[in-house]
This record gives sequence, C-alpha cells and structure tokens, in this order.
Amino acid sequence: MELTRTNLTYQKIRSRISPRLALAAGLVALFVAVPLAYIFIRAVSAEPEAWQRLFQERIWKLFGNTLALVIAVTGGALLTGVTMAFLTERTDLPGKKIFRWMLAMPLAIPAYIGGIVHLSLLRPRGGVIPQLLENLFGQPVPTPSPLGFWGAAFILTLFMYPYVYLLSGAAFRTLHASLEEASRIFGRTPIQTIFQVTLPALRPGLMAGALLVALDILAEYGTVALLRYETFSSAIFVQLSGRYDRSAASVLSGILVALAIGILWSELQFQGRARFTQMESNWRPAPLMPLGKWRIPAFLVVLGVVSASLLLPVGVLLVWSIQAFLDPETMSMLFHTGSQGFGTYIWNSLWSSSAAAVIAVLLSLPVGLLAVRYPNRVSKFISRLCQVGYAIPGVVIALSLVLLVNRFLPFLYATPLVVVIAYVLRHMPQAVRASESALNQLSPSLEEAARMMGRTSLQTLIQVTLPLILPGLLAGGSLVFLTSLKELPATLLLRPAGFDTLAVRVWVWAGEGFYFQAAPAALLLVLASALPLSFLLRREQIFK
Amino acid sequence: MTKLVVQNLVKRFPGTQQSAVNDISFELSDNEILALVGPSGCGKTTTLRLIAGLERPDSGSVRLNQRIVASEAVFIPPEQRGVGMVFQDHALFPHLTVYDNVAFGLRGKTQAEVRTAVGEMLHMVGLLSHSKRYPHELSGGERQRVALARALAPRPVLVLMDEPFSSLDADLRAGVREHVRGILKSMRATVIFVTHDQEEALYMGDRLAVLQKGELEQIGTPEEIFHESNTRFVAEFMGDSDFLKGIVRHGGIQTAIGLVPQIVDLPISTPVEIAIRADDVDFHVDGSGNALIIDRFFRGAFNLYRLRLDTGQVIHAINPHTNILAVGTRVQAYVSAEHSLTVFTK
Repeated sequence: MELTRTNLTYQKIRSRISPRLALAAGLVALFVAVPLAYIFIRAVSAEPEAWQRLFQERIWKLFGNTLALVIAVTGGALLTGVTMAFLTERTDLPGKKIFRWMLAMPLAIPAYIGGIVHLSLLRPRGGVIPQLLENLFGQPVPTPSPLGFWGAAFILTLFMYPYVYLLSGAAFRTLHASLEEASRIFGRTPIQTIFQVTLPALRPGLMAGALLVALDILAEYGTVALLRYETFSSAIFVQLSGRYDRSAASVLSGILVALAIGILWSELQFQGRARFTQMESNWRPAPLMPLGKWRIPAFLVVLGVVSASLLLPVGVLLVWSIQAFLDPETMSMLFHTGSQGFGTYIWNSLWSSSAAAVIAVLLSLPVGLLAVRYPNRVSKFISRLCQVGYAIPGVVIALSLVLLVNRFLPFLYATPLVVVIAYVLRHMPQAVRASESALNQLSPSLEEAARMMGRTSLQTLIQVTLPLILPGLLAGGSLVFLTSLKELPATLLLRPAGFDTLAVRVWVWAGEGFYFQAAPAALLLVLASALPLSFLLRREQIFK
Repeated sequence: MTKLVVQNLVKRFPGTQQSAVNDISFELSDNEILALVGPSGCGKTTTLRLIAGLERPDSGSVRLNQRIVASEAVFIPPEQRGVGMVFQDHALFPHLTVYDNVAFGLRGKTQAEVRTAVGEMLHMVGLLSHSKRYPHELSGGERQRVALARALAPRPVLVLMDEPFSSLDADLRAGVREHVRGILKSMRATVIFVTHDQEEALYMGDRLAVLQKGELEQIGTPEEIFHESNTRFVAEFMGDSDFLKGIVRHGGIQTAIGLVPQIVDLPISTPVEIAIRADDVDFHVDGSGNALIIDRFFRGAFNLYRLRLDTGQVIHAINPHTNILAVGTRVQAYVSAEHSLTVFTK
C-alpha cells in the first residue's frame, strides 16, 4: 500500500519519460519482437501446398498429441504439486523441512535426463527392472512401459510438478488463517473448507504454476523425442534437422506459437476479476492439520515422489558415473572425443549460459525501469512483449534465428553467438520479471533523495538503484543461467559443428546408448543447476 | 432470556507461563451487546475464539442457548454452533463476489430464499449496488459492511465481532460505528464486541467487560464501569484518571487540594487514592493558590491544563473559560465533581 502511494506521487512529479530510457527499452522490445514476427511471416507466406500437405496428414494428429500431453501433464503436476505443498505446509508430516527442499530440487534435473534414467530402468526389453524380474521368475514379466503417451506424461509430471509445488507452497504460506476460520464459522467442515475456500482462494497461484507447466510442455523436445511421442516441438525438430523442410517447419511453428499464445490468453480470461488479495494487517499462519493415522501413508507418498523425481535419478547417475570412472575405455572416451574433452563441454556450457544470463539481465533493466517508474500503456506493452519468450519453444526460436541469420546476418551463421542469442530470447522473461519485482520493492524516494543531492539520473542509477536491486537481478540472472544450461533443442539446432555443451553431450551419448559415458556429464549438469537453484530457494520464505 | 453462559473458562497456550484466559465467567442475555475491552494481550480475542469454537478451552464451559458447546467432555466444532463472526481483517473470500460472500452462510435454503435474504442484508448495509463486485474492488469501509452482512445473514444466535473497526481510518470509524450499532439494534442481535479502544467500548456496549492479563476485572453498564470502577486498573484504563493522594478524616478525605466531602467506610487516617478525571477538577487564578499551571493544551471546545500541586503531584483539569491562562500562573485548584468519586486504599 505504502509503495503504491509513493509511486503515485512520484508519477506526478516526474511524468516526463526520459528519452534515453525509452529508446533503450524500445530497442530491446524490437530485438525480442523480430524473431517472433518473422516466424509468423514465414508461416503465412509458405507455399499453399505446404499448408495443404500438412493439414491433410499431420497437423490434426500432432495437435491432438500435443494437447493431450499438455492436459495430462498439467493435471498431473497440479495434483502432485498441490498435494505435496499441502502436506509439507499445512500438516504435521514427519520430516517436512527436508522434504521441502527435496521436492523443489527436481527443477535442477532436466526432464530428458530423468527420462534417460527411467527409460534405462523400465525399458520393456533390456531395462534394468524387467531384466531383474525375468532373472528372478525365469520368464518375462509384463511391466509398465515408459514409452509413448503415458510414459511421457508420467515422466514429465515427475519433473514439472515443482513449478506448481513452489507456487502453491508460497500461496499456502501467505493464506490468512481467518479465511478458513470464517468458512468454519459459516458452517463448513474442515474438508469442505479445503475445497470451497482454501483451493479456490489459491487459484491464482495454482494457475500461474499450471501455466508454466503447460508452456514448458509445448516447448519440450528431449523427453518426448526420447520416449517416441510426437508433438509439435519434436515434429518441427525433425523437419529442421532431418528433412530440412523449412516451410513445413515454419507452418508448424506458427501453429505452435499460436497455441501457446492461446493458452496464455485463456489463462488471463479464466483468472477473471477474482484476484488473490494479500490481506492487510496481523497475518497469522493457519494451524497445522494433524494427520493422525494417515501420517505414515502420507510420508510414504511424499517419499515416493521424492524418490522417483530426485533420489532415483541422482542415485543412478552416481552409480553410472562411478562405473564410468572405473572403466579405462569409457574414461578415455570421456576425456578425448575427437579433439575435445570433458573440460571443453563444461567450459562451453558455463560461458554460453553465463553470457546469456548477463545479457538478459542487462537488457531487462531498461524495460523494467520504464515499466515500473513510468507505468503507462506503452511501457506495459513493451514489458509484456519481452515476456512472450515464455510462450516460444526453443525449436521455434532456433528456426527463426536460422532463417533470420541466414538471410540478414550470414557472418553470424554457425557461431556460438547465435546459441547465446537464442538463450537470451527464450529466457529473457525471467530476467524481466525479476528486474521489475526488484524495482517495485524499491521506494522511488531513495532515487529522489540522490537527485536532490546533486546526482544525475545516470549517477543515481549506478550509485543508488543498481546496488539496491542487485539481489533481485542476481536472482533473475540465476534463473536464466539455470534454464539456459538445460536448454537442449535450440542448442542442438543452432550450434556450430564441434560446439558441444554438457546438455548436448549427454543427449548424444545417451542416444547412442553410452549411458555410463553420459552419466558424469549429466551429473555435473544437475549439480551446476542445483547451485543457482538453491540460491533462489533460499530467497523464498518457505525455505528459511 | 439468557443466551450465553460462560463459566470458569481457562485457556493456556503451550510454551507460555501465564494463562491467556484465566477463570472467566459471565452471562449474556437476548438482544444485548457486550463489549469486551482491555489492552492488547489481555485475552479478549482468545475469549471470543473460545466461544466461536476456534479454540478449545482447557477447562470451564460455554453454553449457548442452553446447550453446552464446550466443556471438558464436549466440544462442538465451530460449523455446528450457529454463531456469526466479523473478523478483524474481515476475511472476505477473495474468490467470491460480494453476493456470494454474503450467501456463503445461508445453507439448506432455496435459491429464492437466499436471494431475498442476501438482498435484504445488502440493502441494510447500503451495498445492494455492489453485489457483483469482488472484495479487492471495495474500499475498507465497504469490506467491513460486507463482513457484517455476511455474519448477520444466517440470523445467528450470537454475533462475534473481533476488533471490526481497527482496520478502518479514524475519520471513517466514527460514522461506521454509529451505522453498525443501528443495524445490530434493529436486528435485535445478541453481540459480543471485542475492542482495545475504551471509547469504542463505551459507545458500542450495552454492558462492558474489562479484561486484564486473562482475568475479568469488572463487568457492568458503561456508567458503572466509568464512574464506579472496581479496581485501579479499570479506572486507569477506562478514563485517563489521575490518582490523587489523600487521608481519611472525619467528614471526608483530606487531599492536597482540600477536603473532599465524601464519606468512606474506612478507618480514620487510612492513606487512600481518589480517582479523578480532568472534568472533576476546577481552578481559579489565585496568587497564593495550591497549584501551578505547567502546560496548556488547546482542545477546541475547552482547554486542558496540567497542574503541578505543591506536593509535586501532577493532575489534569478542564477549564472551559475562554480566557487563556499562561503557563506559570498560580491557581487555586479544587474538586468540583458532584457525583461520588472512586476511592482506592493504597
């Protein structure tokens, strides 16, 4: 309340937008908008036969496949995430403090790496578990297959639910105790209260989590390709890398982006006018619900989720890595593949992701400053535009950049720089959101005080604003770093020959069946993601 | 008819030395508004929550409409007690419109009945035109009225109000207070009203119960509480009293500002304190008087003076005269009250 009030007075004093800032933000918006617009132009201008051909055979099946997976995984992630958040935040579940961490950590494991592990364990022929059962019983025992729709839905749910878990956990935490008490007073039992008051009041948080999951599923390439389930993303990838049919890829991309924007739009519609209002005074945490005889079953359910999504993948990767180090042949393969070695992959991963993080944060600054300090229609539009990257899958950004660079900037073609640009475009929304929220928490009167004491606006920015919003910027940068590190399809499609990152190597080696060899790289990738992730989690109230 | 009987209620929270509520008993009859008042942490909100069923008493009992709802053996959950409550933060459901919030407590009724009841309540609080809005689209005063409508709509046997006006701005509070009391009285509601503001308690309550440190200090009409305080705490809390030292004599109490002609049932020469308020004291300019003006506060309709008596004690006096007296003026102060004053032994 206090902040908005000061913001308003600030508006009256300095409503003239600084032209330098507006120019910078406008250029950033242009940078983001061009690749997006170009895809639509290419899709619309593709030969009619390409459209016709695609409509006749593929598109409806792809559409159905993609939508089915989005719905199944979003539903699964909602169910798992909300249940886990409820158990760790609102009940007397044993060990919930450590579970809070373990339930969030799967965010550090790219879904395709989890998929590789589960596939190797469950594969119908030759998987570890079917093999074990066959040896035990002397004949093949039918086990659920991780391939196809249900396998993909299961594995993606396991590695996507943390989005919902984190957002609904925070929402459970901030929910005011008196809401539930009011529901009891007006005649609802505790169970009715959960369904009629608690969950509906948490809806905005749940919807935000579901949105992230749905958009991520649209963009997912590695897992669905691995589990042989065809979606728009994997079809575009095949068109681009294998058959090299760019107009077909453009058409598919156009439809995919339209689908993503449709999801974004319907979320806004569904949200409607009912907003989650943070209530004012004397917040009191809601009392914990005693689980009673359900303590042990609940504990086992949470343990099951944590095992399948964290303990098992990390454990298996550890065992494989140890086996890799014990086998001299694998060792030499690991450290000398052609002219390159393990160190090169680490270096490539780190520098490209770090560069993307730095650039994304720098670009997000003018956008955030403009949107927060001069809120009007134009600045809001620029800020929204910079966040559509969420809705544009990596394969689409790759396609757009391939086409654009080939045509207008051929000297950039097949340089690592294009990979970095793709990362920036794709993950910029996270940086923009972080910058905006950091700036929102900074009272403008601090900047005014600096101006009163004789600093120019640029000096104020450097001496006052930046040092104060630095933690927020670091958080945004960490998110960009974390997600760039995992980015697979854009890297695969855009990398120059010989530019191998950890993600690429894991993918290539695992695809060729060299699991032991892929394991150390995968493990390192997980660890490198876990560090910025735990920095981010520590900023959250529930992990203190 | 007696609506609510609270007997020897005790509640202690784990990890605290003192009981939050310690042996509180009182009764409430039909159509009565009882104001529970006391400083923060005195146990008034806990008492309310025990009656609502949001807390479980350690011992003692609560009887609502002749039915035991809480005792050592019985605990009826809040949803089966049929009480209404207005929360301090209003606790309006953010996902429901004003209409649905008010309708939330109306169950087992036909749609038409619900529509009539909600319409009636919203009309009464003057928010009929806002029924399709969401809580975040309302002002603080409007939210407060929706919360009241929601609590009253099911015609509860008892309405509990937990500092309902504390989140409103001061200039709004007085108007809302009048409006709310009017509504409660017109509906003949039985109400327990919790506040830490003694002025609000005096205004809202048919009777007042003053609490301190989990114990009931005094219960009575506003006049009794204000003029016949049982304890020094009540006198201090309810009305900014000064405590004038005195000694019991024949024919009254001898103080630094003269003999107060009040006969008390105490042995001669007992040292006592008389609770006096600024309107009980008067003075006139007198060069050889017994007090010195050390401060003057302009209060619009009157001037409030701080006087230092020759004994060193400081008391307050209201002087309605328009002639303004300078600080440092010597005056003769005396007790001007025409009602009996409360006397405490030291």
